[in-house]
Amino acid sequence: MSARYGMAIDLDRCTGCGACMVACAAENNAPPLPQATPRTGLTSMLVRQVSNGMEGAARREVFIPIMCMHCEHETPCVSVCPQQAVEVDKATGIVMQMPQRCLGCRYCMTACPYHARYFNWWDPAWPAGMEKSLNPGVAARMRGVVEKCNMCHARLHSARAKAAAAGKREIDPADYIPACVEACPTEAIRFGNLADENDPVSRDAHSPDAFRMLARLDTEPKLYYKSKEAWVRELAESKSGRGPEVKHG
Amino acid sequence: MKVTRRDLLLLGAAGTAGLVVTPVPWKLLDDVSIWSQNWPWIPQPTRGPVEVKQSFCTLCPNGCGMRVRMAAGWPVGVAGVSSHPISRGALCPLGYGAHQLNWHPQRLRTVRHRANSSSWGEARAAFAKACSEGRIAIVDGQPGRAASSVMKTFVQKRDGSYRVALGPESQALAPYEIWSGVPAAALGYDLENAQTVVSFGAPLLDGWGSPGRFTRLWAERAAGMADPQLRLIQVEASLSGTSLSRTAARAWQWVPVRAGAEGALAAGLARALLDEHLVSVSARGPMPPLTVAQAAEQTGLSTGAIVDLARTMIARPPVVAIANDGNPAIAALNVVLGAAGARGGIVRRSKHAESYASAEGVIDSARAVLIDSTVPWDFTPKTDAEVFRFAAWDGGSSKADWLLPAPGFLEELTDVPTAPASAVETYAVAPSLVKAPPEVQSAAQFLGGIDPASITVEKIIHTRCDDLFRGRAGTLHGQEATPVAKVESVQKLEEQLWKGAVWIGEPPRSGDFRCELKEWPATGSSARVVNRSSVNWSRAWLAPVLPPLVSKLCQESSLREAPERRNS
Repeated sequence: MSARYGMAIDLDRCTGCGACMVACAAENNAPPLPQATPRTGLTSMLVRQVSNGMEGAARREVFIPIMCMHCEHETPCVSVCPQQAVEVDKATGIVMQMPQRCLGCRYCMTACPYHARYFNWWDPAWPAGMEKSLNPGVAARMRGVVEKCNMCHARLHSARAKAAAAGKREIDPADYIPACVEACPTEAIRFGNLADENDPVSRDAHSPDAFRMLARLDTEPKLYYKSKEAWVRELAESKSGRGPEVKHG
Repeated sequence: MKVTRRDLLLLGAAGTAGLVVTPVPWKLLDDVSIWSQNWPWIPQPTRGPVEVKQSFCTLCPNGCGMRVRMAAGWPVGVAGVSSHPISRGALCPLGYGAHQLNWHPQRLRTVRHRANSSSWGEARAAFAKACSEGRIAIVDGQPGRAASSVMKTFVQKRDGSYRVALGPESQALAPYEIWSGVPAAALGYDLENAQTVVSFGAPLLDGWGSPGRFTRLWAERAAGMADPQLRLIQVEASLSGTSLSRTAARAWQWVPVRAGAEGALAAGLARALLDEHLVSVSARGPMPPLTVAQAAEQTGLSTGAIVDLARTMIARPPVVAIANDGNPAIAALNVVLGAAGARGGIVRRSKHAESYASAEGVIDSARAVLIDSTVPWDFTPKTDAEVFRFAAWDGGSSKADWLLPAPGFLEELTDVPTAPASAVETYAVAPSLVKAPPEVQSAAQFLGGIDPASITVEKIIHTRCDDLFRGRAGTLHGQEATPVAKVESVQKLEEQLWKGAVWIGEPPRSGDFRCELKEWPATGSSARVVNRSSVNWSRAWLAPVLPPLVSKLCQESSLREAPERRNS
């Protein structure tokens, strides 16, 4: 049975600690880039801080984790890639990026409405000896390719291998949890199968407080956000140059 | 057969057409692409058997439970342990990158004497000479460990002094020790039973105590609720043009006050509670030195706002106020609120904790001062003595005479005593998962080399396990919770602890601790101003360096600011 993996992120629970960003980088062998800036960094998971623009006691701020939204419909990055280096996995719904095919043209970065893709400007490098601490399940990507969240695909491979070893066709959902979900200290980020109506993430996605980023584009992202605060929900359709102030990350 | 020009042209055309329809050029292109993108200098992950081991983070005193994924004997990833009753599966962002710290370029690998390379033999001889010539002092950053016992016994034998560099959570409990006689190390915050928490600048959602403890409580009982079960009120300075602190941004109510006026607001709130008869008569003690109007003037709030805040605080008891440092006015507010010694307030978690001499004051008449690697790097002792500083990483600008390389992350067997703000006693053992390089030594090993009669850390841990077993109190939290009374033998208990179980003591009882306020303390001391978005998740983070992947937070994004080098 094919799945549609997705996430539901409760913004009311996010404290912006950044544990998801560090856990994501560690899991996916993203190199530390002390020379990088927010424009040239490699942050497949990025937490942005946004305020309601008020001052004094009326000021409210929210932290929004942004990553690949794994668009289901007319996925913008897939349609522009000249190399077929991006595809939507029919078995999981995950938008996959294949760095070996990528030419580094960055059309996909331009096409992505969520700015969730990053270009690898430098050869991956770690301080001497630190390569021993790399995750053996993920190969380091090379310079000149585009990177993004793949929902920790190495963990899906491990879960499948474990299920196959046990003679099962379906994986145990407990064996496949992306690093950011595992790392979130407040359980703000939840992961599950949107195709399963009984999955808590599927229920969250149908909550009246749920919304998707730029839903008007009709790309059907598989990342849902939740907030009880109306000004936060309105952020989802904010247009450039208007609305609340965003601390760009 | 004669080959004509026409034949050659035909062969060329056919060859070109044939090449295009065969997969050869595409295969070659693909191979070139893969080859050119996998240069030999691109690091490859270590291959080898993968296993998961349980341990604890020892980089700050909170000792969060950690699952360490090892490949070929090296740690390649960490995650929280959901069965840990205090940290509850959470780690701070620094913890998630901690497994890379041992290879940090600033790792100390040689003994240094005033910036010159030296040896362990010379360092040991210099310290032994200092011990024979005069008194010594040892500064510890995480008291209560087996290694702390080694250090304490060493100085006591030589009539020296054992000092402790306390973190802000412990400093905030110090005033209660003065007023009650109960050691601050025996006290904690019973947040699990509190319904209103008033924080005076304490970063409760950003590096205060164990990351899993309060943030989980807040997420379950407060996040996104209009009428939360746990009301978090954040009193914090309003700094124009900057983002709110994470705690102020997510609090149920944020009360912006003038920077440094937290003590004045505490006094004003206490005065309002007494003037308006909002607290019981038994709580009546000395009157705060400020009227509500004076407090309003100092804090920038209106008198009405202070009275309203006082009413809000007591509307949903139990209520507890939490200071960001040792500000006694905030502790006194807790006494007025009846939170000192009450359920949901400040509780006594231990009957046998001891008082520690603070390392903050002047360390006089000492010939030498030894600083353990658990003391945060920016601590500089106020002394003229010869300083022996243990550290696993070099933070730069050290004023120590001797810089001694200590074991790094997970390279040393240690035990993990109770976290500073915890409401219950805990005990755990963090085994060494990685072999320490031969050139490093812990302070306990160093002292053992000078005094061969000194007891080892292993033996002390064994004795402590024996004491826990004989005490028959508390519960052992491993894969499942087992009362210690049901554990069959001390060997079983020790085995469980070495595998990552945590011992949790009995829950505190209200009335175990009483506090009497004889006079109202000065309100002049101001709460420290914390850099709101710095990457210093825990202010007790003992390493002078941060995991390299923290660049994601402060270089590759603007989520947090890079930390300031306070001693540079």
